[in-house]
Amino acid sequence: MKGSRKTQLIESIMEVVRIVAGMAIAYGVALLILFLISDDPAFIIKQFILGPFSSPRRIGSIINLAVPFIICGISMCFMYAVNKFNLIGESIFMLAGCIITFVGVKIGNSLPMIVMVPLLLIIGAIVGVVLAFIPAIMDRKLNANVVVVSLMLNSVVAQLAIWILRYHMRDTTIGYTASEIIPESMQLPNIFGSLKIGSGIIIALILVVIASILFFKTSFGWKMRLVGANPRFAKAVGFSTLGISFAAQLLGGAIAGIGGATEIMNSYKRYLWMATTGHGFDGLLVAVLAKKNPILVPIGALFLAYIRIGADVVNTSGDIPYEFITVIQGIIILLVAAESFLSGTKNKLIFREVQKEEEKKKALQAKEEAK
Amino acid sequence: MTIDIAAFLFDTIKMATPLIFAALAALINRHAGMFNMGIEGMILCAALGAVTFAHYGGSMITGLLGGIAVGILTGLFIGFSHLTGKTDLYLTTIAFNLMATGGTVFVMYLMTGDKSTTGAAFRSYLVPNIDIPLIKDIPFLGKVLSGHSLLTYLAFVSIFLVWFLLYKTRIGLRIRSVGENPMAAESVGISVTKVGYIAFLLCGLFSGLAGTFLSMSWVSFFMKGMTSGRGYIGLSAQNMANGSPLGSALVSLLFGATTSLATTMKSQTKFPTEFLDMIPYLATILAIILTNIYKINKKRRIEKGKAAE
Repeated sequence: MKGSRKTQLIESIMEVVRIVAGMAIAYGVALLILFLISDDPAFIIKQFILGPFSSPRRIGSIINLAVPFIICGISMCFMYAVNKFNLIGESIFMLAGCIITFVGVKIGNSLPMIVMVPLLLIIGAIVGVVLAFIPAIMDRKLNANVVVVSLMLNSVVAQLAIWILRYHMRDTTIGYTASEIIPESMQLPNIFGSLKIGSGIIIALILVVIASILFFKTSFGWKMRLVGANPRFAKAVGFSTLGISFAAQLLGGAIAGIGGATEIMNSYKRYLWMATTGHGFDGLLVAVLAKKNPILVPIGALFLAYIRIGADVVNTSGDIPYEFITVIQGIIILLVAAESFLSGTKNKLIFREVQKEEEKKKALQAKEEAK
Repeated sequence: MTIDIAAFLFDTIKMATPLIFAALAALINRHAGMFNMGIEGMILCAALGAVTFAHYGGSMITGLLGGIAVGILTGLFIGFSHLTGKTDLYLTTIAFNLMATGGTVFVMYLMTGDKSTTGAAFRSYLVPNIDIPLIKDIPFLGKVLSGHSLLTYLAFVSIFLVWFLLYKTRIGLRIRSVGENPMAAESVGISVTKVGYIAFLLCGLFSGLAGTFLSMSWVSFFMKGMTSGRGYIGLSAQNMANGSPLGSALVSLLFGATTSLATTMKSQTKFPTEFLDMIPYLATILAIILTNIYKINKKRRIEKGKAAE
């Protein structure tokens, strides 16, 4: 009994070690890339590591950037918890931002912020549920591949959002394609003065708490995790696995919609997205880093925001294109997802622990026999 | 609005070419029991590889070989992380496609200083178009079937080659047996890992051809994100045809027709382009719905039949 508990402990410690090692290796690769391609490696590497902390403004922007990562990470936690890689969050984020801007501009300043913000968050969530419904119902009723369907749908929805912007929202008085300035009643105020952190972080943290409670303190959360971990067992004990994973996908969609709405209210004055923003995929990375655990999502999101701001700093202060960071992101997912990465070490540790136990037992037996 | 039917059909075949290659690539993986979504990213990498090798090698041939080589390398990369690293294939391929999208832009920027296309910096090379001697003189048919890229004809030949490989050769039998039941295959001494690598290698070959077609035949340069979902559409095509090479090719042609329709309508009507751009993707979703309803009904009928006995 004691032995198995120790084994469990080793397993969970190794899990953390694996994630940290994966992140460290990917970070190392990032530094190596910078070293190889930069004309002034020492300066660029210093910028990449310390740049994000060089001014209060930049620290604030790490937090602001982490807000959509947290929300989309939670969204993907729901999808990933039931083992459905439903990537519709990518276009939900965009269309939710588009629709709430449309509604917000129409309403104008006639409603106070305390009504306006929750109203728009709810509209964002509805957009998310409606869009997530399509791949989810096709998965449930038709056994269609949810990844392919959601990716195809992303292309369709992105075009729809572009069409809405170009034909129904465009501010014709400016020289570029963007909506009118959104009313002040939906611009989330900054908190912490000089850091310029938007209050969107509060929405994100509330979602973390709600999702954590749902995951670990309700029977639905428990069922959801069971369906993801062992679908056959879940089915055998009589749960509707299809229904549970369907519900989880709708919830994930709703949260992605809230994410898009929050992002617009937190960081933008106008809606101007002409392509999907990549937040759906970033959410997947965060969920993988957090091992489908909503409580750990903020940590993964902050790490991602930190390396993103770092990449941004070297992009502006040096000759390094921003895109190299997506390569790093891919490496992180691969390393963390690889079962065999560091599995040798884990097995060795467990083996050694078991061996110790066995030796103790033998020693005890020998003692008893001696008696 | 007047539609030149011959031109429309010609475009259909042209647009179907990368889809056929993608479907064949996915099909080989499928028969080995693996659902490889990484084809999208593999094609993208190969498309950049082709123009790069053509530019630095100074000829069309180096480009063609380079594109194929990059396709195979990326295939083996995914194979390595899935088969040897034991990663979840879904997660691996999503991560890989992410890397490919950003990575190609990154590499392109390092080589050309441009983040959207290699058109300005790289010399363009095209895989030659071929006129078929007798057919080209037939009035309507000649316009449709003749004058395509060498790669288009190769795509149609490949349909037969893949069928032959899968159903008439020893390696094909091994691939299918691993896909059918890996444990049974292992028990008679077939190395599942080795067969998996071979499947990824072949998949890489066809992805490489698809990529080369895009950047050296469809257009003569590499463009950021130029695959725009073709890998996924090809993947769906073979899924709908249940992995049959000929069926996959026919579905690919159908999807090629939807793309061709969108292009024709863009030049002929004033319909908002946003909606026309949706057509290929909507067609794919619709086709998935229809084929899956058909498959489910068929399964139900079989189950009912069994129950009646």
